[in-house]
Amino acid sequence: MDKRIKLEIKLPLVKDIELVAIEGLELMGRHLQISDEKIGEARILVTEGVINAIEHSENKSPFVDVHFIMNINALIIIITDYGKGFDPAIIENPEIGKKINSDYKRGWGLKLMKEMSDDFQIDSNEDGTKITITKNLR
Amino acid sequence: MKMDFDLTANIEGDVLVLKTEGYINNDGGEKIAFEFETHFTNGISKVLLDIENSKVVNSIGISYLIEIIEKLNEKNGTLYFCNMDAAIEKTFNIMGLFQFAKKVDSVGEIKE
Repeated sequence: MDKRIKLEIKLPLVKDIELVAIEGLELMGRHLQISDEKIGEARILVTEGVINAIEHSENKSPFVDVHFIMNINALIIIITDYGKGFDPAIIENPEIGKKINSDYKRGWGLKLMKEMSDDFQIDSNEDGTKITITKNLR
Repeated sequence: MKMDFDLTANIEGDVLVLKTEGYINNDGGEKIAFEFETHFTNGISKVLLDIENSKVVNSIGISYLIEIIEKLNEKNGTLYFCNMDAAIEKTFNIMGLFQFAKKVDSVGEIKE
């Protein structure tokens, strides 16, 4: 039987609140006996996704929504903020060679989420941004 | 899992060994960079970051490590990593950190 478990969390815009989401993720992973390696990669996805969402919220909304849907084969992470949105097409792909000696060393979140995941979708408009990440767990 | 950040610094031979514990976020990255700076101004050019006890990092914390790599490069120095969690190593690979930093098993691989 395909045992699917879900978690929905409304996270306030509080420093390091991504750790709350990670705790939930790890509990779900342990329950379904997902490997440490896959949960470790999912931890990176959740951390970057929540941090991005909080930054994009720009205090327009006091929270971001995080949904996890997990079975033994895959994890779906949906992170929604209610900020002003952005155009992902204009986000520059960061390169380490350019970051060295540059004043701006950040901007890695989207790249990490795209490359660490098995599917990555962004839906963004003036009412906010929803990212949907699929991570295979096998 | 420990989330409060702690850092210990030791000099072993000509290598500064920084051992982290907890979440390498903005604050953690800043603490690493501050400790590094103290030793860098005293001439240290080999730095080993042992992150065995840091299972969570974020890209803001890693941006401080890029700053350290940049400063070491200017003095022909090197940042080394050891005891990385597999997902963190993958993260560093995606970011291209190992183009400018190195992975080692222990400080013994670096010491003169």
